[in-house]
Amino acid sequence: MRAVHKNTLYWMAVTFILFPVLILVGLFMRAVQADQLGGAQAWFYPMMTLHGVGMVGVWFVAAMACASDILERYCDPSAAVGRFALAGTVLGVLLLLACVFLGRFAAGWYFLYPLPLKGEWPAWSAVTFLLSITVLGATWLVWCLDLLRAIAKKYSLSRALAWHYLAGRGEPELPPSVLIITVSLIAAVAALLAGVIVLVLFYVELLSGATSDTLLMKNLTFFFGHTLVNLAMYLGVAALYEALPEYAGRPWKTNRIVAISWNAVLLIVLFAYFHHLYMDFVQPGAFQYIGQVASYFSAIPAAVVTIFGALLLVYHARMRWNIASLLFFIGLAGWAIGGVGAVIDSTISVNVALHNTLWVPAHFHTYMVAGLAFLVIGYFYHRCQEVARVPENAGAQAFTTALLVIGAYGFFAMFYLAGAYAVPRRFALYPLELNHGAGYSLAALVFASLFLAGFLLYLVSIWTRWFKAMGARA
Amino acid sequence: MRFAEVLVFVCSLLAAAAATAATDGKVLFEQKCTACHTIGGGKRVGPDLQGVTERQPRDWLLQFIVAPDKLLAAKDPAALKLFEEFNRIPMPNLGLSEADAQALIEFIATAGAAARPAAPQPAAQPALPQPDLGSLQSKALAVFLAITAVIVLVFIWVGASTRAPADVNTAKAYGLRRVLFITAAVLLTALLAATLPQAPYAAGDAKADRVVYVATRQFDFVFSEEPITSAEDLGRVRRMERPEFARGELVEFRVTSLDVNHGFGLYNPQRQLIAQTQAMPGYVNRLRVRITEPGDYKVLCLEYCAAGHHLMHSGLTAK
Ligand code: HEC
Ligand code: HEM
Ligand SMILES: [Cu+2]
Ligand SMILES: [Cu+2]
Repeated sequence: MRAVHKNTLYWMAVTFILFPVLILVGLFMRAVQADQLGGAQAWFYPMMTLHGVGMVGVWFVAAMACASDILERYCDPSAAVGRFALAGTVLGVLLLLACVFLGRFAAGWYFLYPLPLKGEWPAWSAVTFLLSITVLGATWLVWCLDLLRAIAKKYSLSRALAWHYLAGRGEPELPPSVLIITVSLIAAVAALLAGVIVLVLFYVELLSGATSDTLLMKNLTFFFGHTLVNLAMYLGVAALYEALPEYAGRPWKTNRIVAISWNAVLLIVLFAYFHHLYMDFVQPGAFQYIGQVASYFSAIPAAVVTIFGALLLVYHARMRWNIASLLFFIGLAGWAIGGVGAVIDSTISVNVALHNTLWVPAHFHTYMVAGLAFLVIGYFYHRCQEVARVPENAGAQAFTTALLVIGAYGFFAMFYLAGAYAVPRRFALYPLELNHGAGYSLAALVFASLFLAGFLLYLVSIWTRWFKAMGARA
Repeated sequence: MRFAEVLVFVCSLLAAAAATAATDGKVLFEQKCTACHTIGGGKRVGPDLQGVTERQPRDWLLQFIVAPDKLLAAKDPAALKLFEEFNRIPMPNLGLSEADAQALIEFIATAGAAARPAAPQPAAQPALPQPDLGSLQSKALAVFLAITAVIVLVFIWVGASTRAPADVNTAKAYGLRRVLFITAAVLLTALLAATLPQAPYAAGDAKADRVVYVATRQFDFVFSEEPITSAEDLGRVRRMERPEFARGELVEFRVTSLDVNHGFGLYNPQRQLIAQTQAMPGYVNRLRVRITEPGDYKVLCLEYCAAGHHLMHSGLTAK
């Protein structure tokens, strides 16, 4: 059995520590919104910022760790760059913790210009935050570039993008996971470069006072934020393509349709971010319409190729069900359901009623928690168990999965309902007219606690396997 | 005679000076303070300032208005207490001189005396019942739930099929995939054709019955019938405290921001979100809304704008 690289095991540990802590931060927010923690409400927005940046960061690096683990099977990513990515991420997280806890920095996870420079927090905390993002962004850019280098060395980029399949040739064979990772990494580089431009413009303003155009900054910020989150999801899908066949006992190969669809994704993903600016009426109209078209058509390759393909793989298969394959299968459904919520919201005429309501966190939590996080923790378990081969307790695993699913969907349902009832997102407390929002928060608090309990049970079951994998590492 | 003339002249000069001091105080207050304070209108992000000149010693007020951050940093007990009471949202240092602060205090004192005695804070407001779903929202929710139900059923069906392992006919499956692809493409294209023309931007052609300018800042909405492009305009233009519209009017809100991004979200009397646009520094977004129902409309900030975000609200009335 292929041993798990030490770096990958460290990334797992980072995820296992940070995820529960950030869930607690999420619970804290729901408790404040439920009017249960009046005294602590001043911490709501700093915690919202920590939770947002933290979660996006954790699931991006966790998905990258899966990608790098997959690539180790086919090519040769640098272990030194892997260690550098770990060190850079830890440094970035420390800076983030400092600016949030010591400086109460609270500009939200996408730090929309010019808010970081105009809040109630001290200037040093804004600078520390920007430094944190700079360290994280630069580190991840290097990491992405190294993985792309390793891919290009083995396959050449055009083959890694399966262009030979487009031309009708099936040789040399390309694992679909490598195709998806390549597409995602190219999008990641584009997103991170946009992030770099945003940061540079912030620094220019800090140093010279020259202000930037708010519409331009908004476009750059959402190109960066949307694309990064979106491709983290795709990296999770790559893990699915890699591991699900082993449970279904059937192969899942690249073919012309898969090649076309993921190349289409690469194009579409770069234009979907426009849906974040629908309510900026001064944005050129063409961009708005392109945003809706791109958002709609991004659903086709996802649904008709990947989800259909995965379902076909499982249909009447001699399936080996355990917590990993359950999480893969249910994670796929979470991606689909969150995607439906997203496509509805990406309809301009509907966005008028849903933009910046809790519908938005509703749909992205669906595919980040019940999609990406499920796929990634499924993959982590799969890799540890592959090496450790500890006997499995089917009942306990089914129970853990059930807790995760019930907790997650109950928690999402409260977001969806509140969103439909026009409760805004990012409100520490709800105004009298919308105080039904507090009731949803309380119910969400209960469900999210169930989810946390489920995750702790997951940790209990992976614990010994992780240590065995650590002992058996190459 | 000459002496009397001089006297009159001096008197009128003094009166004029007093008047400018007073207007200066008022203008400054509108420009710098109404974002967070009222005088006799209840608390907003900060305390209601009615009676503050009696509550607090004058020299403390002077120091506080000029440099609240310094008092807080020096752990001044009164400043600390207020800070905790107002959920640790600090009063910002607004870069005012002592003369400015003096003028402001005069204005607050006179305006406070003129204002009605502060209405007793309503004790624990009764919770309002859950509002009804908006029509657009209920359609969105129904579509979402319906498609989700289909997805769940398909997954359960496929998951259950693994109890009876068998070979599948891939040729047939690929045929099904082609059908699905064509259906999805046709459906999505039809939906695009149906929904794109409903985008709010197209509404820009008809002539609006009313134009109202909206300037946003941390943390209030300022309505006026004159354009507001900078903080200086705030003391100059005539503010509409609570705009009123006639039923059926097509209103164009010209929304901008004087500091960070905010949102202008309009809730109808049934507390359903009916329209919104972003408020961006340096840009004016034109939002058209036909006011169809009489009653009180609520305006909420729908883009996070720092600590007072959830306290940033306003309203309008339709007759
Ligand atoms: C961004 C919001 C904001 C703005 C703008 C603002 N204040 Fe305040 N103000 C506050 C808050 C919040 C407090 C409560 C103390 C604290 O939390 O630091 C306060 C407290 C005060 C107090 C003490 C009140 C008391 O009850 O003792 C005075 C006086 C005051 N402000 C005057 C002003 C004046 C005058 C201006 C305009 C020049 C102004 N404020 C502008 C937020 C603001
Ligand atoms: C079960 C675990 C989780 C809980 C309880 C939780 C809870 C919350 C809550 C209450 C909010 C604030 C909603 C609002 O009022 O705007 C929020 C926002 C957010 N969450 Fe989560 N969340 C969880 C998991 C995740 C995951 C896995 C991600 C991964 C990306 C994530 C990313 C975010 C982001 C990006 C925001 C927005 C922050 C902002 O507006 O700046 N969350 N979450
Ligand atoms: Cu605002
Ligand atoms: Cu706001």
